[in-house]
Amino acid sequence: MNPDDKQMLAVDFCGLKMDSPIVLLSGCVGFGEEYTRVSGFSNRDVGGICLKGTTLEPRLGNQPHRVYETPAGMLNSIGLQNPGARYVVDKILPTLDLSETRFIANISGSTVEEYAEVARIFDDSPVDAIEVNISCPNVKKGGAAFGNDPEVSAAVVAMVRKATSKPIITKLSPNQTDIAENARRCIEAGTDAFAVINTLMGMAIDIEERTTILGNNMGGLSGPAIKPVALLKVHQVYQVCRDHGIPIIGQGGITTPEDALEFLIAGATTVGVGTALFYDPLVCKRINRGIVDYLKRHGMSEVGQLTGTLRLNQAKSACEVCKDDD
Amino acid sequence: MTSHRDTIYPEQARILAHEAYAGDQYWMKVAAPAIARHAKAGSFVHIQVDAQRPLRRPISIMRVDRDAGSVELLYKVFGEGTRLLATRQVGEELSILGPIGTPFTMHTERSRALLIGGGVGMPPMVFLAEQMKRAKHGYLPFAIFGSEVPFPFSARPSAILVDGMPEGVIASMPLLEDWGIPSRLTSKQGYPGCHDGYVTDLARAWLDALDEGDLSEVEIFACGPHVMLEAVAKLARDYALPAQVSMEEFMACGVGGCAGCVVEVQTPTGPAMKRVCVDGPVFDAKAVFPA
Repeated sequence: MNPDDKQMLAVDFCGLKMDSPIVLLSGCVGFGEEYTRVSGFSNRDVGGICLKGTTLEPRLGNQPHRVYETPAGMLNSIGLQNPGARYVVDKILPTLDLSETRFIANISGSTVEEYAEVARIFDDSPVDAIEVNISCPNVKKGGAAFGNDPEVSAAVVAMVRKATSKPIITKLSPNQTDIAENARRCIEAGTDAFAVINTLMGMAIDIEERTTILGNNMGGLSGPAIKPVALLKVHQVYQVCRDHGIPIIGQGGITTPEDALEFLIAGATTVGVGTALFYDPLVCKRINRGIVDYLKRHGMSEVGQLTGTLRLNQAKSACEVCKDDD
Repeated sequence: MTSHRDTIYPEQARILAHEAYAGDQYWMKVAAPAIARHAKAGSFVHIQVDAQRPLRRPISIMRVDRDAGSVELLYKVFGEGTRLLATRQVGEELSILGPIGTPFTMHTERSRALLIGGGVGMPPMVFLAEQMKRAKHGYLPFAIFGSEVPFPFSARPSAILVDGMPEGVIASMPLLEDWGIPSRLTSKQGYPGCHDGYVTDLARAWLDALDEGDLSEVEIFACGPHVMLEAVAKLARDYALPAQVSMEEFMACGVGGCAGCVVEVQTPTGPAMKRVCVDGPVFDAKAVFPA
């Protein structure tokens, strides 16, 4: 890609200078080192990489099966297998070439305090930002996910805010009643950005054995199947974020340049790519190219001009539609 | 145990040949020069069976022809993905990634390699047999293959005597036989010339016929169903022999990124979840199946 084209992809995401609006999603690319063994793949093709979800203590993760293909998507239930925050900071981060792209830690905890402690460890590390995965079970509150409740989500964000001066990206769950209200509370609590959305919880069943297929019984659905849901959630969260200048990583089933463009138009500043890497590990080059071609075709000079340019139809209530039909 | 860090090549591989065998088994040959050049026995390829399917399917490599740049696979239709793969025609292109995985490790001090393949666990054993045949060191492999559907080749009475074999167990795989490598077959389906029983029965008969010196030169290599590998691990323990087993698991990325395809292994520091794709697929049997 020539330098002028490349320049069109550059974007500022809550203060992070990114060379592309593509962010590789947590849990899909290990700690940023795994895909580099694929010929033709480069971390430099993306604006940022969200590292594997990390907890305070090492975690073994869930029993297999951990992944299962579903119509236009897949379920995963890895169970946050990771070597612990201290190990990641001391042993893994020093092996990365930090000039390649922006590296974003992804933190999880079983208690609000654990989130803060993990955030403190990453605060004293070279990561560019911290993504907070609030979709984990809250062990002190009977295992309901932190992210399902705006109050609890905000409490996590507030604790992390106190623990770090790095940009905080809150990863919102679609498995809740009012994602916009949750976003509002997290902004008040000090988040700098959002990732919208995390996976939708699902299940797969083996009818012969009458058992669940995943070792953990349930797992997160990702891939094209969830794209329409994700687009709506990005749109809804954008309505809250717009006035605060809070950017969104739009994500959920993006596999083509057109998918990425839809998310940008809906209100995302950057776009997350995860499951699509499993279809095609070189998909990011294709998406970058497609975005540049689109921008040129529409007389735009930079990708940021697209964000939130969605024009809604003037929605009518059901009754008005009936009247029109008469 | 270190993970496989060699380059993985994405290739648009044209299907050169694709043939169906009884029991929903398929043999496929594709043009994939980079994969052919770098593959080792135990490596696999990750195939996009259909552009609309989110997940690729891992299929082990049976043979490669480095000069021709081709790769041979043998797979069995197991689910929707492999069913779609079976519909792909000669001349079409498949997106494939490979070679992937930590391969089998041959040890010159253990020349007597016992290769055990069950069902579609046979292909990597064929690859390993060929690799041993080509090695300058004089390996003496013996292969035992088991199948509960008709073997994807016409078995032939062996011209190579193997000590310890029960009477009438004479069927062999012609390809290996032509390389001068003895093989024997097992099945519970009563196929002629095959041992009526399990691969491990025949393995015990072979091991029992070896003298102590020869026995100390044996290493076991196996690929097949989980229960078979478990039985092979027990066999290795009973005879105090090293064994390498190739594992399978549902897989997503295939390059070590997602930790979806794990198997639990025992390490000196306790249990760990290792990725079948890059930490495996070949593991030390003792680590996967502890006593």
